[in-house]
Amino acid sequence: MSKLSDDAGGMADHQQQYKGNLLDSVFGAIDLGAIVLDSEHRVVLWNTWMTRHAQIPADAVLGRNLFELFPELRGKRVEAAITQALGNNFPSLLSQTLNKSPFPLYSNAAAAARAERMQQALAVTPLAVPGAARHCMIQINDVSIAVGREKLLRDQALVLRTQTFSDGLTGIANRRHFDVAMEKEWRRARRLGASLSLLMIDIDYFKAYNDHYGHQRGDECLTQVASALSAMLHRSTDVLARYGGEEFVMILPDTDAVQAFQMAESIRSRIMALHIPHAQAGGDAKQITISIGIATLTAAQADDITDLIGAADRALYAAKRSGRNRVVAQALV
Amino acid sequence: MFNLSELEHDALVEIFNIGVGKAAAAMSAIVNEAVTMSVPSISFLNRANAAQMLSGEQYGERICGISQHYDGAFQTEAILMFPEDKSLEIVRLMVGEAVPLDELTEMEQEAMSEIGNIILNSCVGTLANIFERELHGSLPVYHVGTSDEILTASGSPADTVVLMLHIDFVLEAHQIHGYVAFILDVSALHDLTEQIDLYLARVMGPA
Amino acid sequence: MDDIKTVLVVDDSRVSRLMTRQYILSKHANWLVVEAGTGEEALDKVATLVPDLVLIDVNMPGMGGVAAAEQLRKLLPSTPISLLTANVQAATRQRAAEIGVGFMEKPITDERITLLIAPLEA
Repeated sequence: MSKLSDDAGGMADHQQQYKGNLLDSVFGAIDLGAIVLDSEHRVVLWNTWMTRHAQIPADAVLGRNLFELFPELRGKRVEAAITQALGNNFPSLLSQTLNKSPFPLYSNAAAAARAERMQQALAVTPLAVPGAARHCMIQINDVSIAVGREKLLRDQALVLRTQTFSDGLTGIANRRHFDVAMEKEWRRARRLGASLSLLMIDIDYFKAYNDHYGHQRGDECLTQVASALSAMLHRSTDVLARYGGEEFVMILPDTDAVQAFQMAESIRSRIMALHIPHAQAGGDAKQITISIGIATLTAAQADDITDLIGAADRALYAAKRSGRNRVVAQALV
Repeated sequence: MFNLSELEHDALVEIFNIGVGKAAAAMSAIVNEAVTMSVPSISFLNRANAAQMLSGEQYGERICGISQHYDGAFQTEAILMFPEDKSLEIVRLMVGEAVPLDELTEMEQEAMSEIGNIILNSCVGTLANIFERELHGSLPVYHVGTSDEILTASGSPADTVVLMLHIDFVLEAHQIHGYVAFILDVSALHDLTEQIDLYLARVMGPA
Repeated sequence: MDDIKTVLVVDDSRVSRLMTRQYILSKHANWLVVEAGTGEEALDKVATLVPDLVLIDVNMPGMGGVAAAEQLRKLLPSTPISLLTANVQAATRQRAAEIGVGFMEKPITDERITLLIAPLEA
């Protein structure tokens, strides 16, 4: 029992204590929740983060059964994960996406006051403890910020998607949307051997309207016409889009030439019925009118999209040439 | 190629069906909907053939894989695989949100990782329990890539055998086909076969 | 010497059927265990034999365990019938209750077989 060996023993103890204190500090300082349970589900470690965010101090939970402390966890994923860890020696991941907020934890005092739980991502891992039956550790991460950020990104993406496909002024579909929809309906009509009609709609003497009444009134007129046209669509597959400055296009799937003509005539009358005054209109009716060109694809034909659009365009041109405020149908040749 | 007897094969298929059945029950509890899963068949392939089978026509280019490493009584890399768009479908069905395909976010990757964790732990856990053996597992790792990339991600040598499970996943009238691959080297295959035979001996009982 | 009972075991897994047979015979060596590999086969069997107990695996190709159990319940109104499945969830319990059959969780163990054959021992 020399002084030397005493010192050696003392030094080993000192190092153990230092290590122990160090680990305690680390455990208290880490920015995530750490709960350790023994094989009987009793809490044996509850770090500072848990105390802060659950607003429950360690001495209130140590030695207590986790499911008595948090009965809502029984029969759910957390319990299954603890069983996997203690029983099978397997770790489990509990994503925020599927589990949201299993524990009653709050990011800060303000959130606690609102009873707004923290969004949590958990990992439950087995812990081998020498001299004791297997324990398990529950690690909890606060992912509220990440979730908030993702929601923001998603909302922005939604807005972007809507903007990409709708016309800024009138709110109806834009040219880009028309291109996509046209492609889709074309393929469908070809595949099913169904008929497909296209209406090219142009406001008569619109430049003169803009020049006379000003651009703001011009915009209002466009919006009003778009609105009226929109109200005339009666099937979910019908598409109305702004094609150009004062030009609109309507895609009417499963509509033959006769039906398309009837539809076009109703539209023409409807716009007349708006009675939007146009002092500088070229024709007799000193009001806003429209000309419509129709082209219909039938099962028999094997043309491509540009042929259909071209035919509708030519029909519209013919309507303009022959006096405006009328409907002309062009046969696909 | 490695072959099991009919009885050994049957035992393995039944064990995995129990494993995915339990996983389905766990997933059903998460979504509050009926979920069923089954393993209609299994096969042993070398890695090249496994990669080829996975990247067949219906699978397209990108596959989502969730892998976990297991060791102890035997060692294996287990990987749950679905074509990328199917894995997104599963996540959306589980999460209940209608998010467009090209907006897979990190949070959804985490959901898929959890689904992989549930299914793989259930399969391997059932195996371990029925064989009365202890294993140790790792947390899930998420991969996206070609079948070849995913199967080689764990760095196993080329002469490993892949035990491939066909998985049928059914939720809300959606039926999705996927795979679970177990990468096994020679000694792992030996361990596995030994365990199956010990189990069969117990099951058959005294003659 | 107890009475001879007949148990019909329906499961597409041969190992599963063997295991069930083993557990039952180890408790009652004189009982008769009849096997069927599919729901259809099970219905064939009951045309010529009346079992005292039916154990059916849910996860089978073809008709499936639930449909088979439903049919068997009509043919055998008072026979104990149990569905066996690893996938025990709310829908399972509900369906079993609707059909009027019991269910038991898989994997098949000695304890679970003991519970399943209990009605025959009463």
